[in-house]
Amino acid sequence: MTPSKLVFRNITRRRGRFVFTLLGITIGIASFVTFMAMGGNLKREIHRETAALGASLMVLPKGSCGYEQLSILTGDQMPTNITVDEVKKIRDIKGLTAVPYLSQQTAINNRPVSVTGIEPQATFAFKRWQMAQGSYFSSEESKDAVIGVVAAKQFDLKPGSTITVRGEKLTVQGILAETGGRDDAGIFLALPLAQRLFKAHEQVSYVAVRVDNLAQTEAYIEKIREAVSLGVVSDKQMLKSVMGIVGSVNITLQLIAAVAVLASAFGIVNTMMAATYERKREIGILQALGARRRMIFALFMMESGIYGVIGGVSGVVAGLLAAAVATPYITQNAFTTMVKGSGSGTLIDLKVIIYSILFSTVVAILAGIYPAWRAARLTPVEAISYE
Amino acid sequence: MNNIIRTEHAAKTYTIGEITTTALKDVSLEIPQGSFTCIVGPSGHGKSTLMHLIGGLDRPSDGKVYIGDMEISRIANSDLARLRAKRVGFVFQFFNLLQGLTAIENVEIAMMLAGVPDREQRVRAEELLALVGLTEKAGSKPSQLSGGQQQRVAIARALANDPDILLMDEPTGNLDSVAEAEVLDLLQTLHRQGKTVVIVTHSDEVAKRAERIIRVKDGLVDQ
Repeated sequence: MTPSKLVFRNITRRRGRFVFTLLGITIGIASFVTFMAMGGNLKREIHRETAALGASLMVLPKGSCGYEQLSILTGDQMPTNITVDEVKKIRDIKGLTAVPYLSQQTAINNRPVSVTGIEPQATFAFKRWQMAQGSYFSSEESKDAVIGVVAAKQFDLKPGSTITVRGEKLTVQGILAETGGRDDAGIFLALPLAQRLFKAHEQVSYVAVRVDNLAQTEAYIEKIREAVSLGVVSDKQMLKSVMGIVGSVNITLQLIAAVAVLASAFGIVNTMMAATYERKREIGILQALGARRRMIFALFMMESGIYGVIGGVSGVVAGLLAAAVATPYITQNAFTTMVKGSGSGTLIDLKVIIYSILFSTVVAILAGIYPAWRAARLTPVEAISYE
Repeated sequence: MNNIIRTEHAAKTYTIGEITTTALKDVSLEIPQGSFTCIVGPSGHGKSTLMHLIGGLDRPSDGKVYIGDMEISRIANSDLARLRAKRVGFVFQFFNLLQGLTAIENVEIAMMLAGVPDREQRVRAEELLALVGLTEKAGSKPSQLSGGQQQRVAIARALANDPDILLMDEPTGNLDSVAEAEVLDLLQTLHRQGKTVVIVTHSDEVAKRAERIIRVKDGLVDQ
């Protein structure tokens, strides 16, 4: 017999109570892990999307804040306040490539999809796209659509299929090869068509700019600001402000989950208190057999610690499963659309796993202190005389 | 003969809320090493309290208690626990086995608490169960054993760390006469092997077997 064997015997004696207490902490940790995993995915996606833009600078309407910058990454609907004339002025600056985008949304089968108006040739080169099926836009004034590979799968579309955008039937001309980013889930139209459909005559949402000499990026920000009265941010600034928004959302979600874990901690307190009452007499027997208070305390602490470890492990498993299962069903909005990503799946972050199990164990141990102290405080005679 | 247990004017009062109860008034006694002693007296007159004091389960409110040369009424809790683990074996009226454990595990746990390594525990526990005639029941839970069998497991457990003293509180109080005789025979065998046996009882059957009888009445030793 060893103390750990004894603890294991005790914990499995009341199977129902064991399972219910464990469920409490499992659910708490699972929600914690789900949010952490999703948050982690979101951050990874943001990094990837930012890189996928292929731009070192973004030109946006003046006074744009982090939310608009986030919209660029998520493909959310954006105001169209930049004129074609302004795009031309930017392009007149030497040493950069500028590509305008019109960012809108439509719905197919009641599911929101981002629609981007692009200059076909410029964007193709800028994004280094490749085709998976069908062909790319035949001209800059094409009346057809090109779609991402995830969108094709999601809505069961092939080259030749038709989609309806703003009441107009469009033929899917081709499907892009997987980019691993948000473009995979989008629909692309030639800019003139998009401007007509979304009533944004001669206007675009934002302009992506690639500077030939990256060392001069800061200087180009000034040059663009001189040429047009628009806001300019570098990709690094954009990443920083977007991460700021995402970070605060993440922390809020994790705090909610942490409250769930804390609530389950009181489940452990309850169970352990019940165990100390129930085993009062046994505590007395152990004391009569020579158990020190330290040993009684340790036995009870180990027992609650086990709830933490097992609950942590099962919570991590349940949480990662939930994240994997739930992610595809999350409706699109600015914060969650990217979790959906391009079907890369939930990446299992070892740090999340370790932190969660550690968190659950620490909470369970803290929850066990009071009951264990109560148990250890019993005097042998008091405990053994208990009927 | 050396006295292994000695009390000097031991007294014990309990205070619950505002009510103070005197369980033992003034008890001075000596129990020689290797003796078979019964502490007898009516219920509620302090027999069990006296056993708790001489076994180191409780401390006197006043007076002194010695085990060998050690004055145990003043030593630290952890030293008292060590004394219970190594020098005293307890057997109680209601057997007090741990219900979740098998017979052999109940014996092992006493050794675990005394710091005996896991592997040695099994060997010794098997010997002890053989001694009390329960080899076949080693894997049974207490609920699967009769009262007499449970009490023999409790005796095996009390013997686990080879204590000098066996202290028993009504060990046959819940047994039929056949089981009682078996348990008493076992205790006499142990006594012959050199153990000091102290039994708290109000059974004449038990008292008959004792070499010495200490009568407790109204919290005093009735000489």
